[in-house]
Amino acid sequence: MRDLAVTSTEHTLWVSVIIVGFVVVLAVAALLSLLIYLVKIIDRRVVEVRDTLKAAAANTADTVLIPQVAEGVEAVLAEGLQHHLFLGRVLGKVKA
Amino acid sequence: MTSLVVLTVVDIVLLIAGLAFYLYWAGSLLNRIAANLEDSFESAAAILGHARLIGPGVGHINRTGGVVAGALPLLYGMAEEIVTDISPPAAAQPHVREAASESTAQPGYEPTQPASGHRRSRLLELVGFAMEG
Repeated sequence: MRDLAVTSTEHTLWVSVIIVGFVVVLAVAALLSLLIYLVKIIDRRVVEVRDTLKAAAANTADTVLIPQVAEGVEAVLAEGLQHHLFLGRVLGKVKA
Repeated sequence: MTSLVVLTVVDIVLLIAGLAFYLYWAGSLLNRIAANLEDSFESAAAILGHARLIGPGVGHINRTGGVVAGALPLLYGMAEEIVTDISPPAAAQPHVREAASESTAQPGYEPTQPASGHRRSRLLELVGFAMEG
Protein backbone atom coordinates (compact mmCIF):
# COMPACT_ATOMS: atom_id res chain seq x y z
CA MET A 1 0.00 0.00 0.00
CA ARG A 2 1.42 3.31 -1.02
CA ASP A 3 1.63 5.92 1.76
CA LEU A 4 -0.37 9.05 1.18
CA ALA A 5 1.48 12.25 1.71
CA VAL A 6 -0.56 14.57 3.90
CA THR A 7 0.41 17.73 5.53
CA SER A 8 0.00 18.36 9.23
CA THR A 9 -3.08 20.49 8.64
CA GLU A 10 -4.68 17.79 6.51
CA HIS A 11 -3.88 15.22 9.14
CA THR A 12 -5.49 17.33 11.81
CA LEU A 13 -8.54 17.90 9.64
CA TRP A 14 -8.81 14.19 8.90
CA VAL A 15 -8.66 13.30 12.58
CA SER A 16 -11.26 15.97 13.29
CA VAL A 17 -13.53 14.57 10.60
CA ILE A 18 -13.15 11.06 12.01
CA ILE A 19 -14.06 12.32 15.48
CA VAL A 20 -17.03 14.21 14.09
CA GLY A 21 -18.00 11.05 12.20
CA PHE A 22 -18.03 9.02 15.41
CA VAL A 23 -20.08 11.73 17.10
CA VAL A 24 -22.52 11.63 14.19
CA VAL A 25 -22.73 7.84 14.46
CA LEU A 26 -23.49 8.14 18.17
CA ALA A 27 -26.06 10.87 17.51
CA VAL A 28 -27.75 8.77 14.82
CA ALA A 29 -27.81 5.79 17.17
CA ALA A 30 -29.35 7.92 19.92
CA LEU A 31 -31.99 9.37 17.62
CA LEU A 32 -32.83 5.98 16.18
CA SER A 33 -33.07 4.59 19.72
CA LEU A 34 -35.54 7.36 20.51
CA LEU A 35 -37.46 6.47 17.35
CA ILE A 36 -37.56 2.81 18.38
CA TYR A 37 -38.74 3.80 21.87
CA LEU A 38 -41.58 5.86 20.42
CA VAL A 39 -42.52 3.16 17.92
CA LYS A 40 -42.66 0.64 20.77
CA ILE A 41 -45.06 2.94 22.63
CA ILE A 42 -47.19 3.12 19.49
CA ASP A 43 -47.06 -0.67 19.23
CA ARG A 44 -48.28 -1.08 22.83
CA ARG A 45 -51.11 1.41 22.33
CA VAL A 46 -52.16 -0.22 19.06
CA VAL A 47 -52.31 -3.59 20.82
CA GLU A 48 -54.55 -2.02 23.50
CA VAL A 49 -56.78 -0.49 20.83
CA ARG A 50 -56.98 -3.83 19.02
CA ASP A 51 -57.94 -5.69 22.20
CA THR A 52 -60.53 -3.04 23.12
CA LEU A 53 -62.07 -3.18 19.67
CA LYS A 54 -62.18 -6.97 19.82
CA ALA A 55 -63.99 -6.82 23.17
CA ALA A 56 -66.38 -4.19 21.81
CA ALA A 57 -67.07 -6.30 18.75
CA ALA A 58 -67.83 -9.28 20.99
CA ASN A 59 -70.27 -7.13 22.95
CA THR A 60 -72.01 -5.63 19.95
CA ALA A 61 -72.35 -9.06 18.33
CA ASP A 62 -75.55 -9.45 20.36
CA THR A 63 -77.20 -6.64 18.42
CA VAL A 64 -78.32 -9.24 15.88
CA LEU A 65 -80.96 -10.09 18.48
CA ILE A 66 -82.56 -6.65 18.16
CA PRO A 67 -84.38 -7.40 14.90
CA GLN A 68 -85.58 -10.68 16.41
CA VAL A 69 -86.90 -8.77 19.44
CA ALA A 70 -88.60 -6.34 17.09
CA GLU A 71 -90.28 -9.25 15.34
CA GLY A 72 -91.35 -10.62 18.72
CA VAL A 73 -92.88 -7.32 19.72
CA GLU A 74 -94.59 -7.20 16.35
CA ALA A 75 -96.05 -10.65 17.09
CA VAL A 76 -97.27 -9.40 20.46
CA LEU A 77 -98.97 -6.51 18.69
CA ALA A 78 -100.59 -8.85 16.19
CA GLU A 79 -101.81 -11.05 19.02
CA GLY A 80 -103.12 -8.00 20.84
CA LEU A 81 -105.04 -6.98 17.76
CA GLN A 82 -106.59 -10.45 17.63
CA HIS A 83 -107.60 -10.06 21.27
CA HIS A 84 -109.04 -6.66 20.45
CA LEU A 85 -111.12 -8.10 17.64
CA PHE A 86 -112.24 -10.99 19.81
CA LEU A 87 -113.22 -8.75 22.69
CA GLY A 88 -115.01 -6.43 20.31
CA ARG A 89 -117.10 -9.31 18.99
CA VAL A 90 -117.77 -10.69 22.46
CA LEU A 91 -118.63 -7.28 23.88
CA GLY A 92 -121.19 -6.70 21.13
CA LYS A 93 -122.82 -10.05 21.84
CA VAL A 94 -122.78 -9.50 25.60
CA LYS A 95 -124.40 -6.11 25.28
CA ALA A 96 -126.95 -7.52 22.89
CA MET B 1 -1.69 7.26 8.15
CA THR B 2 -2.92 3.70 7.92
CA SER B 3 -4.70 4.08 11.22
CA LEU B 4 -6.54 7.10 9.87
CA VAL B 5 -7.76 5.12 6.91
CA VAL B 6 -8.82 2.23 9.12
CA LEU B 7 -10.63 4.58 11.47
CA THR B 8 -12.40 6.20 8.54
CA VAL B 9 -13.50 2.84 7.23
CA VAL B 10 -14.62 1.78 10.71
CA ASP B 11 -16.56 5.04 11.03
CA ILE B 12 -18.37 4.48 7.75
CA VAL B 13 -19.05 0.83 8.49
CA LEU B 14 -20.39 1.69 11.92
CA LEU B 15 -22.71 4.28 10.43
CA ILE B 16 -24.03 1.92 7.77
CA ALA B 17 -24.34 -1.02 10.19
CA GLY B 18 -26.09 1.11 12.79
CA LEU B 19 -28.51 2.47 10.24
CA ALA B 20 -29.23 -1.00 8.89
CA PHE B 21 -29.77 -2.48 12.35
CA TYR B 22 -32.07 0.26 13.56
CA LEU B 23 -34.00 0.43 10.30
CA TYR B 24 -34.52 -3.33 10.37
CA TRP B 25 -35.71 -3.07 13.99
CA ALA B 26 -38.06 -0.18 13.22
CA GLY B 27 -39.30 -1.98 10.12
CA SER B 28 -40.21 -5.12 12.03
CA LEU B 29 -41.98 -3.05 14.69
CA LEU B 30 -43.89 -1.10 12.05
CA ASN B 31 -44.84 -4.37 10.37
CA ARG B 32 -46.32 -5.63 13.64
CA ILE B 33 -48.14 -2.34 14.14
CA ALA B 34 -49.57 -2.59 10.64
CA ALA B 35 -50.86 -6.10 11.35
CA ASN B 36 -52.43 -4.96 14.61
CA LEU B 37 -54.00 -1.96 12.89
CA GLU B 38 -55.44 -4.27 10.27
CA ASP B 39 -57.02 -6.38 13.02
CA SER B 40 -58.34 -3.21 14.63
CA PHE B 41 -59.82 -2.09 11.34
CA GLU B 42 -61.59 -5.41 10.93
CA SER B 43 -62.96 -5.18 14.48
CA ALA B 44 -64.12 -1.62 13.88
CA ALA B 45 -65.83 -2.69 10.65
CA ALA B 46 -67.56 -5.53 12.54
CA ILE B 47 -68.72 -3.07 15.21
CA LEU B 48 -70.02 -0.77 12.49
CA GLY B 49 -71.94 -3.65 10.95
CA HIS B 50 -73.41 -4.57 14.32
CA ALA B 51 -74.29 -0.96 15.11
CA ARG B 52 -76.19 -0.59 11.85
CA LEU B 53 -78.82 -2.97 13.25
CA ILE B 54 -79.40 -0.95 16.41
CA GLY B 55 -81.06 2.15 15.02
CA PRO B 56 -83.76 0.58 12.81
CA GLY B 57 -84.34 -2.27 15.30
CA VAL B 58 -84.83 0.01 18.29
CA GLY B 59 -87.03 2.34 16.22
CA HIS B 60 -89.14 -0.63 15.18
CA ILE B 61 -89.44 -1.83 18.79
CA ASN B 62 -90.32 1.66 19.99
CA ARG B 63 -93.06 2.12 17.40
CA THR B 64 -94.55 -1.32 17.98
CA GLY B 65 -94.22 -1.06 21.75
CA GLY B 66 -95.94 2.31 21.67
CA VAL B 67 -98.86 0.87 19.72
CA VAL B 68 -99.08 -2.07 22.13
CA ALA B 69 -98.94 0.21 25.16
CA GLY B 70 -101.67 2.39 23.67
CA ALA B 71 -103.88 -0.55 22.79
CA LEU B 72 -103.66 -2.43 26.08
CA PRO B 73 -105.89 0.02 28.03
CA LEU B 74 -108.57 -0.49 25.38
CA LEU B 75 -108.34 -4.23 25.95
CA TYR B 76 -108.53 -3.73 29.71
CA GLY B 77 -111.58 -1.52 29.29
CA MET B 78 -113.37 -3.92 27.02
CA ALA B 79 -112.56 -6.91 29.20
CA GLU B 80 -113.73 -5.11 32.32
CA GLU B 81 -116.90 -4.05 30.57
CA ILE B 82 -117.58 -7.65 29.60
CA VAL B 83 -116.88 -8.85 33.13
CA THR B 84 -119.26 -6.23 34.52
CA ASP B 85 -121.96 -7.08 32.00
CA ILE B 86 -121.88 -10.85 32.38
CA SER B 87 -121.55 -10.95 36.16
CA PRO B 88 -124.76 -12.02 37.84
CA PRO B 89 -126.22 -9.87 40.60
CA ALA B 90 -124.70 -10.21 44.03
CA ALA B 91 -127.66 -12.11 45.37
CA ALA B 92 -127.02 -14.83 42.80
CA GLN B 93 -123.39 -15.31 43.75
CA PRO B 94 -122.92 -15.00 47.50
CA HIS B 95 -119.55 -16.73 47.40
CA VAL B 96 -118.20 -14.00 45.14
CA ARG B 97 -119.54 -11.29 47.35
CA GLU B 98 -117.80 -12.85 50.32
CA ALA B 99 -114.56 -13.22 48.41
CA ALA B 100 -114.53 -9.64 47.12
CA SER B 101 -112.73 -7.22 49.39
CA GLU B 102 -114.59 -4.32 50.87
CA SER B 103 -112.57 -1.77 48.89
CA THR B 104 -113.63 -3.24 45.55
CA ALA B 105 -117.19 -4.10 46.46
CA GLN B 106 -119.86 -1.99 44.77
CA PRO B 107 -123.14 -1.40 46.55
CA GLY B 108 -125.94 -3.58 45.29
CA TYR B 109 -123.97 -5.15 42.49
CA GLU B 110 -120.67 -6.94 42.93
CA PRO B 111 -119.26 -8.23 39.67
CA THR B 112 -116.45 -10.71 39.48
CA GLN B 113 -113.29 -8.83 40.31
CA PRO B 114 -110.06 -9.34 38.40
CA ALA B 115 -107.26 -10.39 40.73
CA SER B 116 -105.03 -7.60 39.51
CA GLY B 117 -107.58 -4.88 40.25
CA HIS B 118 -109.18 -2.39 37.91
CA ARG B 119 -107.50 -0.76 34.98
CA ARG B 120 -107.73 2.66 36.57
CA SER B 121 -106.09 1.51 39.77
CA ARG B 122 -103.23 -0.06 37.80
CA LEU B 123 -102.72 3.12 35.80
CA LEU B 124 -102.67 5.17 38.97
CA GLU B 125 -100.17 2.84 40.58
CA LEU B 126 -98.09 3.14 37.46
CA VAL B 127 -97.64 6.87 37.99
CA GLY B 128 -97.02 6.45 41.71
CA PHE B 129 -100.44 7.39 43.05
CA ALA B 130 -101.98 5.23 45.77
CA MET B 131 -105.63 5.61 46.62
CA GLU B 132 -106.42 5.54 50.31
CA GLY B 133 -109.33 3.61 51.80
